[in-house]
Amino acid sequence: MTEIKNAHLTTLKGAYDTELMEATLRIRRWDPDTQRARFDTFTVTVPVTASVLDALDAIKDTHDGTLAYRKSCRMAVCGSCGMRIDGGAALACKTPMKKFVDAGHTITVSPMGNLPVIKDLVVDMAPFWEKIRAVKPYLDTKDEEVPDTEWRVAPEHGDMIHKESLCILCGCCVSECNSMESDPDFLGPAALAKAYRFVGDTRDTDTRERLRDLNGAHGIWDCTRCYFCNQRCPKGVDPRDAIAKLGAESFKEGFVRDEGARHAKVFVDSTFKGGYLRETELVPKTIGPVNAVKDIPFALQLARAGKVPNPLSPHKAKDNDEVKRLWKLLEKEAKGAERPRAQHPDAVREG
Amino acid sequence: MQERYAYYPGCLASLSQKELDSSTRAIAQKLDIELVEMPSVTCCGAGDIHEAKPDYYLHISARILGQAEQMGCETILSICNVCTLNLRQANKALQEDAALLNRINDNLKEVGAATYQGGVDIRHLLWEVSEGNGYEAFKSIAVKSLEGLKVAPFYGCQILRPSKILGFENPDNPQSLERLIEACGAEPIDYPAKVKCCGFPIVLAREDVALGELVQPLEQAVEAGADVIVTPCPLCHLSLDAWQRKAADFAGKEFGIPILHLAQLLGAAAGIEESEFKFKRHVTRLSPEVKAKLQVPSAIGTEA
Repeated sequence: MTEIKNAHLTTLKGAYDTELMEATLRIRRWDPDTQRARFDTFTVTVPVTASVLDALDAIKDTHDGTLAYRKSCRMAVCGSCGMRIDGGAALACKTPMKKFVDAGHTITVSPMGNLPVIKDLVVDMAPFWEKIRAVKPYLDTKDEEVPDTEWRVAPEHGDMIHKESLCILCGCCVSECNSMESDPDFLGPAALAKAYRFVGDTRDTDTRERLRDLNGAHGIWDCTRCYFCNQRCPKGVDPRDAIAKLGAESFKEGFVRDEGARHAKVFVDSTFKGGYLRETELVPKTIGPVNAVKDIPFALQLARAGKVPNPLSPHKAKDNDEVKRLWKLLEKEAKGAERPRAQHPDAVREG
Repeated sequence: MQERYAYYPGCLASLSQKELDSSTRAIAQKLDIELVEMPSVTCCGAGDIHEAKPDYYLHISARILGQAEQMGCETILSICNVCTLNLRQANKALQEDAALLNRINDNLKEVGAATYQGGVDIRHLLWEVSEGNGYEAFKSIAVKSLEGLKVAPFYGCQILRPSKILGFENPDNPQSLERLIEACGAEPIDYPAKVKCCGFPIVLAREDVALGELVQPLEQAVEAGADVIVTPCPLCHLSLDAWQRKAADFAGKEFGIPILHLAQLLGAAAGIEESEFKFKRHVTRLSPEVKAKLQVPSAIGTEA
């Protein structure tokens, strides 16, 4: 058996009497002094239980002390070791090395995307924090007096923001966000999941102001629904779903003027009007009649290929009165519903 | 692959992308699959209704699924990524929450609509013909070899991610399209953007953001030497094909790459009549050279 040289991993081996394996990693290096990138490949001996982070530690201890990466808790809680493993962002501490070794596969480790690289695998998180700060990531109860005792949040109300509360701010969701690649100012999945964590908090009273800020340039309607964020999140936050919830909250509060919201409304209205989407209404109702006129040459190009259905004879599904009745029923139900609120501690005391 | 499906073409294939519907019906006939019509269905909501009115979205989805159930179909065949994700996502929510399903069924009953018992699956055409007996069946009808045709697969997002709802293949290294391209005798072209977004969901609301996304697959596929791009999603198709002109202006370069629906590529290899493909409905035209490689006569369909 190969002798293990890394002190930390020797302890691991002693504690668990683990088998060893040879792991090979290809790492993207970035030298800020020379501004040059290169790939280095290292082979290290690690316990079969080693994570990618353990392998990086072994490389740093035994091969190259200049290798830079972030780490702290080693247990998927601190969110420090987000990096791309074979192109997809993940926590190095949560990714076991063995499956790659068994497959004879050399992984490529590179820094997260959508953030500037400082050195090797270390990215500058400043733009990330800026966006988190922009959504006001704290409870706002406005002018209400600070109560003496705690607010009471019903368990079902806590559940509404449970997933979003699991976020560890690692940045894996942001790394592959396709909209952010195209619009670097897009608030992005992490900040928007954080925004929903407070919009959905039954103690917060700043809901309308929060939603107003999120409807507009670089806000929720920038999301292209590529679902990379849900796929990458190591904690099951599902940021795309949080963005959808912010859309629904916006509709509830009457914020329906953003082009994205107007686009969504055409889909809603089409279903109970006739069944299928009214494609010809989509353009003027989303971007407005003036901009639609500017787009006429483009529309004609589409029309020539038969891509503009006749607006005068829209699709009419059979039995669509059912859908109309359903829509009315649900709208009536929703009208009576009030926004759930946490019980104020004083009210609890008096009660 | 099954012998009988509830056929849910979705809005685009029924309206602006009719060439996808006709090609799908033609390939289904070759494969001896029965497609049962669903005349009373609505739009799946395309993610927009899920975002604007989530409760309504679950109701209309349950109504669609319930209709398939009442037609005696266990599986809905989808030919659109967005329909596939939206119906599967709703299905998962309904199947996992009996109280939710009960409430929705009560409402559906009240308006006289079909209720849903939770027994339907939603499958995309790509999944059905890229493995198992569906793949074997396709290989047996792929009589024409599209040798020399270089095809760039473009998966689109919502057939891959989130994998806990879709789950057919590795979302970071999918191979189903490549397998089918090879079965057609053509050559699959690899490029990184094949699993990325085409930008279509926001092309009207945020045109510049969307075009920034759309440029990537077009640019990479052309640079990798592809003759055509093939996609299993009519929204991706519309983006790659109809918005290609805008993407070219945005990027300041020409792409001129034709985009095929999956059913068109399969159909060409299966020797289906060119008239079913309705190529004149494409905004980015197929050149005679590409048509020759697709083995469809260039005399027909070069109009415009």
